[in-house]
Amino acid sequence: MALDSNKWAENKLLWSALAIFALVVVLTVSLNGSKGLQWILSGLVVGSIYSLIAMGFSVIYSSTRVINFAQGEFSMLGGMLMYTFATKAHVSIWLSFVLSVLVVALIGAAFEQTAIYKLRGSSVITVIIVTIGFSIFLKAIAKWIWGTDPVKIAPFTGEKAITIFKAAIVPQSFWVFGLTVLAVAALFLFFSRTLVGKGMRAAAANSDAASLVGVSTNTTSLIAWTLAAGLGAAAGIIIGPITPPSFSSGLMLGLKGFSAAVLGGLGNIQGAVVGGLMLGVLENIIAGVLPTGYKEAFAFLVLILVLLIRPQGLLGKPEDVKV
Amino acid sequence: MERYLKPAGNKRDYRVLLIVSLVILTVPLWARLIPGEVLHMDIVNIMVLTGIYACAVLGLNLLVGYAGQISLGHAAFFGIGAYTTAILTTRLHWFPSWLGILLAMVVAGVIGYLVGVPVLRLKGNYLAMATLGLGAIASILFSQVKWLTNGNEGIMGIRYLSIFGFKFDSDIKFYFAVWVLVLLIMLFSINTVRSRVGRALRALHSSEVAADAMGVNTGSVKTRVFVLSAALAGLGGALFAHYEQFVSPESFVFSISILFITMVVVGGMGNIWGGLVGVLFLSFLPPVIQALPQWIPGIPSSVTNFSNYELVLYGLLLIVFMIFMPRGIAYGLARGAQMASRGAKHVGERLQARKYEEHK
Repeated sequence: MALDSNKWAENKLLWSALAIFALVVVLTVSLNGSKGLQWILSGLVVGSIYSLIAMGFSVIYSSTRVINFAQGEFSMLGGMLMYTFATKAHVSIWLSFVLSVLVVALIGAAFEQTAIYKLRGSSVITVIIVTIGFSIFLKAIAKWIWGTDPVKIAPFTGEKAITIFKAAIVPQSFWVFGLTVLAVAALFLFFSRTLVGKGMRAAAANSDAASLVGVSTNTTSLIAWTLAAGLGAAAGIIIGPITPPSFSSGLMLGLKGFSAAVLGGLGNIQGAVVGGLMLGVLENIIAGVLPTGYKEAFAFLVLILVLLIRPQGLLGKPEDVKV
Repeated sequence: MERYLKPAGNKRDYRVLLIVSLVILTVPLWARLIPGEVLHMDIVNIMVLTGIYACAVLGLNLLVGYAGQISLGHAAFFGIGAYTTAILTTRLHWFPSWLGILLAMVVAGVIGYLVGVPVLRLKGNYLAMATLGLGAIASILFSQVKWLTNGNEGIMGIRYLSIFGFKFDSDIKFYFAVWVLVLLIMLFSINTVRSRVGRALRALHSSEVAADAMGVNTGSVKTRVFVLSAALAGLGGALFAHYEQFVSPESFVFSISILFITMVVVGGMGNIWGGLVGVLFLSFLPPVIQALPQWIPGIPSSVTNFSNYELVLYGLLLIVFMIFMPRGIAYGLARGAQMASRGAKHVGERLQARKYEEHK
């Protein structure tokens, strides 16, 4: 049951991973002082973004068994649309936020209806290539509309950094934390309290059985893609004021988000959150300690190691192989 | 219908290969005869690059199309090949370039083996992501390991390919070197696909468990085809380095891996001609579109400025081909040729029937 909570308390691997992680964090702060704290705080900000993107991957994967290579492009589009609405058209921040998320969610839904719907039952390679095609398409369209330079989005409130124990933190970071918590909470409520959400969990666990009791797999897939696109867009929007988006920023965001999802356990929402935050923090510590050029390689190293050693991630259960 | 199209390949493939070889090897003869005002593109130059990419794409077609194992990181092996020969021949002045190319294949193959053994245990989505991650790490290493690769500035002044004193120092000479190799790879692919290994690959593609049960050593077969495709990509990369005389990390990024996959898909996965058709189609698409206004006056410049919508087009091609034409252009061509021959036969029969009636 991919979307269901596993028995947290019994997962020894998770606890040991968390313990090591905590140790690394404590060591970093005690060895590097306020600089270390700075790394960890910025790591948490980026990590929240990775979590949101990872949740998008997981929602789509658990409902349709598809890895959406265009997930990062949803974030890029979210940021770019926010720029158009808020910076260019001077629409108020919250209205721009909602509009951008809605537009990207609609794009996700449209893609599901036109391509993914037609590809039910196709081989994995086929679906991968189609989502890659879609990501290239979105990127190219963005380049056409917004050009190649990164665009500037104003922070939601104020630009003056706040200092905590000599570590500076921009106010936008609090928006990132707050909105991520809100999104995670909303998603949990959706999957545990609403009929549609429960149906999606059922379909994720066993789509044949779910369709026998009246859960439409078509609807499930559509909702999953819409949700994932919206989540991705939200991530791209709230990080926009900190790292200005450009037409090409989607690829990295998507790959990092995917690494986070795999680290936590692909298809597992809690795993996405844990994986995202861990990856964000560790990556920033690495960037502080090693030459910066290698920072980008860290997430991929984690991705490959997890895939090889424990493909189900920290929180996942091994997948049954159907013949 | 299936008789002609079955992926096993048949005797006809050799005949087609003979004709294709004759056409391709005579291209420089007639391409230079057509005046530039008519053609508006340097066919020989485009064909050299096409051949270089073809090395990588033909190998990838065996891996993706036949064995059903996806790789989204083959630009890494292309790059490893290019850097191997680039570093060897620029640092050691006596180092023969043909040996550089051979070693490039070996290095790419060995790295392919070291990477392939663990990674090929993964399947489908996971394999795609792992190879993508490896490709990303490789392109970071190309630009970061500066003492070896000279970072983003790249390596300049790579010598032309020469074998025992014969220098391939013009486009035409290089053309023959590259395409003879490509045609040999093509012959090798046709033979492989018809062999026991080829049948094992296809069994693997349809069901790994079933192939295992039938006695195919799936792990070993997968690794071997992965190493082969890595070495061929390395060969392509090495030829690229000696042709361009310059390598930099830009030439081996993620989008090149995607270009390779696109060529395989558009040409036709699991069709022995797919790789060749795909690489020809996508290499000639940009220059043909750019040359359009010279042929047909009145085409707006927004259409001809290919870099504007190159990526939009590639994205759409991938989606449209996978949904509506998953077997690619090569299949379409084969089917067209077959329908034409059947049509001709049909017309012939009708004519004969009419003659018979008239005679009566």
